[in-house]
Amino acid sequence: MRRVALVLLTAWLATARLTPAEQNAARAVEPLPTRPDSLKFAVLGDNGTGEKPEYDVGQQMAAARRTFPFDMVLMLGDNMYGRQDPQDFVTKFERPYAALLQAGVLFYATLGNHDDQNNRFYKAFNMGGERYFTFVKKNVRFFVLDTNQLDPKQQAWFDEALQRSDDQWRICFFHHPIYSDGGRHGSDVSLRVILEPLFVKYGIDVVFSGHDHVYERLKPQKGITYFVSGSGGQLRRGDVRPSGLTAAYFDQDQSFMLVEVAGDEMFFEAVSRSGATVDSGVIHREPVGSRNSR
Amino acid sequence: MKSDALATPHVAVHRRRRGAAARLFDIFVRRYLALPTGVAIALVWANVAPERYFVFAHSLAFPVNEIGMAFFVGLIVQEIAEAVMPGGALHSWRRWSLPLLAAAGGIAGSAGFYLAYVHGRYESVLEAGWPIACAIDIAAAYYVLKTILPRSGALPFVLLLAIATDLFGMLIIAPQYQTATVHGGGLGVMLVALGIAGAMRALRVRAFWPYLAICGTLSWIALYREGLHPAFALVPIVPFLPHEPRRLDLLADPPDDDAVHHFEHEWNTLVQGILFLFGLVNGGVLLRGYDTGTWALLLGALVGRPIGILTAVRAAVAAGWHLPRGLGWRQLVVAALASSSGFTFALFFATGILSTGPLLAQLTIGAVGTAAGSLLAIGAARLFRVGRFAR
Repeated sequence: MRRVALVLLTAWLATARLTPAEQNAARAVEPLPTRPDSLKFAVLGDNGTGEKPEYDVGQQMAAARRTFPFDMVLMLGDNMYGRQDPQDFVTKFERPYAALLQAGVLFYATLGNHDDQNNRFYKAFNMGGERYFTFVKKNVRFFVLDTNQLDPKQQAWFDEALQRSDDQWRICFFHHPIYSDGGRHGSDVSLRVILEPLFVKYGIDVVFSGHDHVYERLKPQKGITYFVSGSGGQLRRGDVRPSGLTAAYFDQDQSFMLVEVAGDEMFFEAVSRSGATVDSGVIHREPVGSRNSR
Repeated sequence: MKSDALATPHVAVHRRRRGAAARLFDIFVRRYLALPTGVAIALVWANVAPERYFVFAHSLAFPVNEIGMAFFVGLIVQEIAEAVMPGGALHSWRRWSLPLLAAAGGIAGSAGFYLAYVHGRYESVLEAGWPIACAIDIAAAYYVLKTILPRSGALPFVLLLAIATDLFGMLIIAPQYQTATVHGGGLGVMLVALGIAGAMRALRVRAFWPYLAICGTLSWIALYREGLHPAFALVPIVPFLPHEPRRLDLLADPPDDDAVHHFEHEWNTLVQGILFLFGLVNGGVLLRGYDTGTWALLLGALVGRPIGILTAVRAAVAAGWHLPRGLGWRQLVVAALASSSGFTFALFFATGILSTGPLLAQLTIGAVGTAAGSLLAIGAARLFRVGRFAR
């Protein structure tokens, strides 16, 4: 009897000791289909440290592009940490991603709390001098928000932009997550009560945020899938506090995401600094009307 | 007779209960506890059931912050107007000079420390919040000094300093109102409001409500249409209201019971109710929302302001000014610390400058945290053995 109890305890401890990467690795990896006519992009958040991990992630992204030829990168804010003089744009952005920039990959940034507001005028961030803006790539419309302050003007703009959109996919990205199990920051509920009704009403499909320096995928909330990808340069190791909302997470190393939108499906992979796939899957786009019942 | 006899104890209990409730309400109004109570409830609610709290707060934000707070600003301006009018406690400009210099020093100190910290952390997005660091909670300073330094001359000094500082802050935040659209046409509406107020004054209308209901409403519409903070709607109307000079005893019940003071009593009670709602709607933040803005605000208010005030007063004394009678340097340190709480005004300035989001949350936590300034003042008074702690 004692031996059985010991075996059970050992088995339980062994399971409990699995790192998130190991737990995720147990899941079957969904390979990106890399279809010729699909929209392919990478996602990166909280990256602009100018330190080695950022450069490692940049190299890993360049390596990934050899087999997954993405044309653009979404930057989820905190694109630059610390001093933000002209030289810093070189050491914290242009050098780490030199291979991608030379290949003509476009970066689209949103502002985080560490970003100078004037960085929206930096050409390579493709913000057009705006704090919030929208753009279309193939069958996807992207909405970029400044969640440092969700002022009434921005809310009115967002409402109007959503109304005008008749694109097949609607993806929103901004810095502060409205759903997150990050221990340091977590969900920003004050933003959620304003943004979520708009997301649901107008059929946002996927939302990307950073701020918490981890990777997390949350279970769909009211039909919308939320990702936190805030470890492109920074890392808060072991910070995720898994909850009932958590679908997958990785908080042991820096990471970025690869995403492919093909028809009604969106494939994704979260890739660690060492190149390991730590999460993957596919999201099937749902008609707007079917979401409220979930 | 029998039924009366039976009812008497019940009625007595009922009256006692009503009396206790009235006394409790009176304490809340007189001790200025409505806002802290609202904030305390909001903090607990936001951290226990955040989604429900923020839905509630979001739905009430406009009526409380943009309409209700017009009465708060109006009351403050009314109090100031009565204090500075001929016969009022602050009519002599000579009394203003040293507190004004101290206010300038306090503003420079709090803004300087706030901005230095924000820049040191490379979070320039928080720059806009510097007026929040300058805000002084007039009521907190009043009650702290009245309790620990009642006869030192510190009370009028700090009240003057606080009034000047907060007036400056209001001037800064009024044009920064965050609105979706500017409709225009407000100037014409404002002229109509002022014209009606002038006519009422000429006709010697003594009742306040017509001024507030007609002119105040028109003024509110005018500011809102022009994209200015509508909480300042009563500011241009207050000069037309019937006034009586009074001593400097801000936010306390006037002793007289004439029409003017009766109204002010009612107004004060109404404002306390609004402040409770203001605290409830704006005071709730997730406590883990603290960040750079929180520390910057605490540093600016609790360290920068007292240093700025003391430096300015020292420079003024060196230049030939005299400290008010009964106010020595030790008392001045206590007075400077008593002015470091921003609480009510800091929250008001924060909601005026910033919109929903993590920056507002950081600064809200800081604004609430500055209430610690009152404790610092009490601690300093005990340390220096001044006022009620003197042997």
